[in-house]
Amino acid sequence: MSITTRAAVCRVPGQPWEITELELDEPKTNEVRVKFLAAGLCHSDDHIQKGDAPMRLPVVGGHEGAGIVDAVGESVTRVKVGDHVTCSFIPACGKCRYCATGRQNLCDAGKNAGTGMFPDGTFRFHQGGEDFGGLCVLGTFSQYAVVHEFSVIKIPEEIGFDVAALVACGVPTGWGSAVRAGDVRAGHTVVIYGAGGVGSNAVQGARFAGAKNVVVVDPVPFKREMAEVFGATHTFATAEEAQDFVRETTWGELADRAIITVGILHDEVIANAIKVVGKTGQVTITAVGNGSINENPGMLIGYQRRIQGSIYGGCSPLVDVPMLIGLYQAGDLKLDELITRRYKLDEINEGYQDMLDGKNIRGVIVHEH
Amino acid sequence: MSITTRAAITRAPHVGWEIVDLQLDEPKAHEVRVKLMAAGLCHSDDHITTGDAPIRLPVVGGHEGAGIVESVGPDVQRVKPGDKIVCSYIPACGACRPCSTGHSNMCVKGLNAGTGMFEDGTWRFHEGDTDIGGFCTLGTFSQYAVVSEWATVPLREDFQDIPWEVLCLVGCGVPTGWGSAVHAAGVRAGDTVVIFGSGGVGSNAVQGARFAGAKNVVVVDPVEFKREMATTVFGATHAFATAKEAHEFVVETTWGQLADHVIMTPGAVTEEMVQAAVMMTGKGGKVTITAVGHINERAVHVHAGMLIGYHRQIRGALFGDSNPLYDIPMLLGLYKSGQLKLDELVTRTYTLDQVNQAYQDMNDGKNIRGVIIHEH
Repeated sequence: MSITTRAAVCRVPGQPWEITELELDEPKTNEVRVKFLAAGLCHSDDHIQKGDAPMRLPVVGGHEGAGIVDAVGESVTRVKVGDHVTCSFIPACGKCRYCATGRQNLCDAGKNAGTGMFPDGTFRFHQGGEDFGGLCVLGTFSQYAVVHEFSVIKIPEEIGFDVAALVACGVPTGWGSAVRAGDVRAGHTVVIYGAGGVGSNAVQGARFAGAKNVVVVDPVPFKREMAEVFGATHTFATAEEAQDFVRETTWGELADRAIITVGILHDEVIANAIKVVGKTGQVTITAVGNGSINENPGMLIGYQRRIQGSIYGGCSPLVDVPMLIGLYQAGDLKLDELITRRYKLDEINEGYQDMLDGKNIRGVIVHEH
Repeated sequence: MSITTRAAITRAPHVGWEIVDLQLDEPKAHEVRVKLMAAGLCHSDDHITTGDAPIRLPVVGGHEGAGIVESVGPDVQRVKPGDKIVCSYIPACGACRPCSTGHSNMCVKGLNAGTGMFEDGTWRFHEGDTDIGGFCTLGTFSQYAVVSEWATVPLREDFQDIPWEVLCLVGCGVPTGWGSAVHAAGVRAGDTVVIFGSGGVGSNAVQGARFAGAKNVVVVDPVEFKREMATTVFGATHAFATAKEAHEFVVETTWGQLADHVIMTPGAVTEEMVQAAVMMTGKGGKVTITAVGHINERAVHVHAGMLIGYHRQIRGALFGDSNPLYDIPMLLGLYKSGQLKLDELVTRTYTLDQVNQAYQDMNDGKNIRGVIIHEH
């Protein structure tokens, strides 16, 4: 039976998020309905609202979310009604080439992220006669959503939903940008550009992997201060200051790794990151935006540098999400400190304004029911 | 005692090579004087004459060479007079951070490649009062050269009968190409690999990819002769004249999953080629750039979203990420056992006087590799 849900939607880029009531279908085969308790305010949703990430509109925002399974369709095996779950913004089907070779971040089932369409060509959110997709086929800025069972991961009941929501995207994306895609090794010097909701976790990952120097570049004093909480050894407001420090502390050998987790990617930060890594160094690009690499091949060949694009930090959600929750439970990963402020769904535009003003590491929506 | 040697030098871009007599100092500490027997005509030397490799001029060309140690300076331990050696265009000191961590291709002693200056700030080649450097501190387009002992790779007993024209190629083109596939790209069994440019470097990337077990080794080269050599001799499974044809083939043969690796070994890399290479690379795939481009062109110009969504990587490769002291003897061993084709790389041999003709032949697409046989 179809239900009604309140959701934040984007109909036209440039307009604020609009709170509206949508009809939500019941789950079909291999689908589950989730009652969301919390949703993270990730920069990627803002890219949609600003028109930087072109996708099918109208869309229900939100791709970080945690809640309780409220109903299941036929043939669902991964979860049952009542299970606490977090959502993975990339599904893991477990049988495509990439899942089969340990790279669930590249799962072929993620292809509808930009439309919110289900594999049968239909949508679950509706208003009047109009179909609405959920971002990443999720739509966590809604009290309820129907999602594919490949997109949910069961979590322990004692984990807070606000913390669990972040483990769906920002935490593994940042952590993995250092540990998986970024290949940080013990003893490395690592420079991280941007210490927000993703970058803070790159800092934690780099430190946990044994980096000697974890150098953060962020213009916002609050984020630099928090970065030290997360394990940064040195923080700077500008790339130039970081470059000078890295040159000095490595005796000119420069950094082993650079990780780009800024809010909006641009050409200059990419050029800075390429310049800050030394021989055999790697630049990992995780941030989204309109940035390009623009170099003479000699910049890569002479020092044998490499540039790695990174989605989900190279993490496999079915393994890394529970692993990260385990590290949190053991006290080895700081997640509570990521949440700067909590908002009601009605306060979502204020939440994004706070993000853009540099006030938040991460804002979280706590859904009302 | 100083000796006289005939050498091909470049005094300025765009004027070609000039054959002159130079004075050559005797070797100082940790240096050896080599009687060069053969030198490979690599595209990198041509980049000097076109101005795409901005280096100190005048310069003695040549960074692929093999010969016999004529004399040694004090403290030399790696070789002795009479030893047959291959020159490595990047030295391997064995003591710096890159050498100590298995990356001898980045040895810090390679820092004077563009000046030919020795560590004490002096040069060994002279013309009157003018100091002349050797390219990569070698200068194999000379009958004799003084080089660092770190740039020499001695030959084992069972390699003594290998022809000079083959030996000189394992100092650069062979390990650079082979290593681009095997080490830098990391080709695995079952992979689909596309190689742009099948000349003196790319032909060895083809051999490396095939030897590493690639299922499809797809060559893109506009020259029919090179495509034919790639498929009939070096192990390419498919060859196309254009990137567009290769792209269509790769889409079809991988059911749209695209290539695991693209390796760029053309004469000069362009922006158009890099973009075609990225487009041809699938999820989790890698583009390995080995060839240099035009000095003022930012040929690596790619929107970051092209890397993020498919988790692609673009990397540079120097010397194919090979370690000269290990990989050069290893490759000669493969040659001796019949598993690596090196004779077939040498299309033509030339005398030193014919160096400009040889580069014309290279640019006309007539050679996989041309080699200078020095006269003594």
